[in-house]
Amino acid sequence: MTRQEAEKVLQQRFKLPRFYDEQWETIEKIFKGERVLLIEKTGFGKSLCFQFPATLFDGTTVIFSPLIALMRDQVKKLTALGISAKCINSEQTSEENSQIINEAKSGKIKILYIAPERQENNEWIEATRQMNLKMVVVDEAHCISVWGHDFRPAFRRIINLVKLLPSGLPVLATTATATKRVEQDVAQQIGGNISKLRGNLMRDNFKLFVVKVNSEDEKLIWLGKNLEKLPGSGILYTGTRVATEIYSKWFEHLKISSTAYNAGLDPESRIAIENGLMNNKWKCIISTNALGMGIDKPDIRFVIHTQIPQSPIHYYQEIGRAGRDGQPSYIILFYNTEDKKLPEAFIEGGRPSIKKYEKVIAAVKAELLGERDLMRRTNLKQNQIRIIKADLIEQKIIRQLANKKFEYIFDAPALDTKAFEELRAAKTKDLDSMIQYVETTESRMKFLCDYLGDSSNHTFTNCDNTGEKKIVVQVTPEWTEKLQAFREDYFPELTVESRDSNIVNGVASSYYGVSNVGSALHRSKYEGGGDFPNFLVSLVLKAFRKKFGQEKFDLVVYVPPTSSGDLVKTFATTVAQILKFPISHNLKKQRQTSEQKVFENSYLKSDNVKDAFTLSEPNEVNGKSILLIDDIFDSGATVKEVGRILTTFGAIKIAPIVIARTVGGDLV
Amino acid sequence: MNNEATYWIALAHLPRWGHLKINTLIIKFYHENKISIEEFFNLSESQWRTDYQLDEKQISDLLQAKSELASNAFLAESFFNQGFELIPIVLPGFSKTLKGNLKATHSPAVLYVKGNKKILEEKSIAIVGSRDASEIALKFTDNIAKLASKEYKVVVSGFAKGVDKQALDSAINYKGQSIIVLPQGIMTFDSGFKKYYSQITNGDVLVLSTFFPKAPWRAELAMARNPIIYGLADEIYVAESAEKGGTWSGVVDGLRKQRKIFVRQPTAGEKNANLLLIQKGAVPVDFDGNVVSKAYNTTINEQVSIVQEPNESESIDKKIRSAFNGRPLHANELLAKLGMDWTVKKLTAYLKKLDFIEIVKEKRTNLYKLKGSGDSSQQTLF
Repeated sequence: MTRQEAEKVLQQRFKLPRFYDEQWETIEKIFKGERVLLIEKTGFGKSLCFQFPATLFDGTTVIFSPLIALMRDQVKKLTALGISAKCINSEQTSEENSQIINEAKSGKIKILYIAPERQENNEWIEATRQMNLKMVVVDEAHCISVWGHDFRPAFRRIINLVKLLPSGLPVLATTATATKRVEQDVAQQIGGNISKLRGNLMRDNFKLFVVKVNSEDEKLIWLGKNLEKLPGSGILYTGTRVATEIYSKWFEHLKISSTAYNAGLDPESRIAIENGLMNNKWKCIISTNALGMGIDKPDIRFVIHTQIPQSPIHYYQEIGRAGRDGQPSYIILFYNTEDKKLPEAFIEGGRPSIKKYEKVIAAVKAELLGERDLMRRTNLKQNQIRIIKADLIEQKIIRQLANKKFEYIFDAPALDTKAFEELRAAKTKDLDSMIQYVETTESRMKFLCDYLGDSSNHTFTNCDNTGEKKIVVQVTPEWTEKLQAFREDYFPELTVESRDSNIVNGVASSYYGVSNVGSALHRSKYEGGGDFPNFLVSLVLKAFRKKFGQEKFDLVVYVPPTSSGDLVKTFATTVAQILKFPISHNLKKQRQTSEQKVFENSYLKSDNVKDAFTLSEPNEVNGKSILLIDDIFDSGATVKEVGRILTTFGAIKIAPIVIARTVGGDLV
Repeated sequence: MNNEATYWIALAHLPRWGHLKINTLIIKFYHENKISIEEFFNLSESQWRTDYQLDEKQISDLLQAKSELASNAFLAESFFNQGFELIPIVLPGFSKTLKGNLKATHSPAVLYVKGNKKILEEKSIAIVGSRDASEIALKFTDNIAKLASKEYKVVVSGFAKGVDKQALDSAINYKGQSIIVLPQGIMTFDSGFKKYYSQITNGDVLVLSTFFPKAPWRAELAMARNPIIYGLADEIYVAESAEKGGTWSGVVDGLRKQRKIFVRQPTAGEKNANLLLIQKGAVPVDFDGNVVSKAYNTTINEQVSIVQEPNESESIDKKIRSAFNGRPLHANELLAKLGMDWTVKKLTAYLKKLDFIEIVKEKRTNLYKLKGSGDSSQQTLF
């Protein structure tokens, strides 16, 4: 097929006038059955390079993509063009996925998007044997490389798959963010005489700013004052989920329309938010980096970071979604020297101690274990187990079977800790480069391009070092007061609702680590400081009013203690007296439990409290609404278990309220 | 080699081709024309027709297999990810015992395994018998497995009830090594991998199958597995056989293939077909596996390597084989024929380790000959 002929088809099927040269170059190679690594910036039109040939093949093209949002988005667009495209992912029901698999088997689907994790699914593997496969695409191919910013172990298997594909079957790997090192790593792993095509990565419609601040307050204040002044809608990236919540409440307080998005949301909420973003429903979406990549919205007008990312490549990836339409877009990074600590902690503490690795190896050597049992055997946190298992799989010490269990490999090598050190050194260097981006007095775009191995002679005038006015934060008393008022009126939510319990979401009077609440609790609980101080009572009452207003509860119940005596009893009694609700002293422990804080993961915490409680007056809660009081909320396992027990005794509503909620295990 | 796995899976399971046809093709492209399996698959149809004399039916089978390669890659990836391995017949890791016993006619083109592959290189015995074997047959099995484990011989068994299971459990119990030969595809053996988890991870058990990895258990596969058990073993012991069924037909098949098969000498009044097998040419043995009667005269199959390997000991072995012309030789005669600068002592020590050399006592000296009928060594098959 000549380019001219192809463009005719392009006009009919895709309603696009012509190919860019790099697109056609890629497509020609695909038609020849070659393997190609294509590195082009976001918005270039990489997808067309596989979508176009896929429509001409008499079989199915499979696209591995880690981003469910992006899959959904592309499927929607292709379907609108009358091209049969579907995606299989974990957010659809298994019936939906099975249905799509069946369609693929009978040759009804031209373009099939799947997540790399699907390669672990038996039904999928069975189905592939009956599919007429014509091309394999690896989207976001930087995820293959541990030297990239987003290495994903599931991609390891995709590489193994690609190596097993017969010669002559076209393979396309695409990414918008790859340094030279990542490029080489990816190309080498895919192998098979792969050709590399790299476009230029500069984005001259970006207006790049770095705002140096001295505190978190300055970030909140500048954004409160200026967010509405920015054009269009955009994304605000924070460093943690808690920060996401705080910014979101702050904007809510200021009546700026925004919504929070994080990895913990259920699929329906995510989809609703993605759709809302597409329709400019909010001024901004506040997110940890869970979002960011998947959404194909051409007119994102600003991307703001309140927290410095781990490396320039993370940063380039995250800002990459802005301004795909080529119109001016604001790219703002806040930086307080303190902020370095978070990525540093990720790098330093991101890897568990060698001892923990050895614990996992020993456990897996002794028996075949799933993740849950492994957590129980080792008393390690889930995220640590996941890091360890990925490393051990990478080092060929253990493997994960189709039934998800971990197996020790016969004749496995010893743990190679040198690899960890190398990786840590590389990450530290990346973070240093990110700090250099902040400190540079030269063109910021050029800095990013150089970092990505894209040397450009272009003269840039698109940042606060090259012509744009610098942003300086001015703190006025008016705004300091606004912030203070917000702080006093802000209470963390306890998300505990579940289908099989009448418990509802509750509230905490504060985060544990923030303000003086945590230290007051610690003094009373562990330093013999006597009853909880009065200011905690008024804080809890305030939180109650904010969350539940004038609502009446039939009964106050408190969680019986493990080792800290009557602190909670006394506290709950005071609160009940003030609110004028009757109090029950009949929730009892029917067996000894350990303190929750000794358990590192939620499975062991749940095991610890499972069936630990009972009511000595079984009829007392029947048909009643209950206000449930405890001091500290960590994993929520205790509160949820009490909610379950009270539900079985007939309580119609259980609303938890606690003094403090911990943030990611900061409890000591 | 992993990169070619999809091609090997496709070739090994060409429908209704049979081992000989597949192996003949492998000999031709791999050993004679020296091309890889990938290159073979990428030849044109006309090359298949003219260079390989394939007929239209065969070409259409190959084309079909070729069109399924991409789909099979997904299965192969899942296969490797779960720690299974594939050993094509052309690789040194393929069991030499199996090749020697089954030759191109009966050898499977690939072995699917999980566990310690080195076990395939060890001396091995198979203990076979009924699923509902008598107490004494099970005790015999236990004893033979014990003796074998003491001598570092691997116990090969078929993972059926009765004798098979006893052989495996005993070998494990006596800290010996075992090969489990499956009557099903290796990816359908989850419960077994769970049960023998520690033995497999310790390197004491190798699980092996020759069937398509996802094939479920079928009676035909159980039958087809028997020759593999016999083929993997240097020595075969029959604990108990009925006059029909898997053990019976397996032993009869083995005898027809000229294997030496040891059968437990039954005690008076036992109701089984052991004596019948002895009459058919099997060798009676006592409880400890010692031959109880010399009244047999069967030819023993020779062990032939059907892989060309470049390493030194392999070429010495080849020289040794070709040095014999049918008659037993003294060590110094052999040394002279070989023209090597070894001492006689070194050579005799070396000869004792070779599985294709038999020692014949003549008065007080040892003579050496090729195992089997004493004819000249067979050329490498492929």
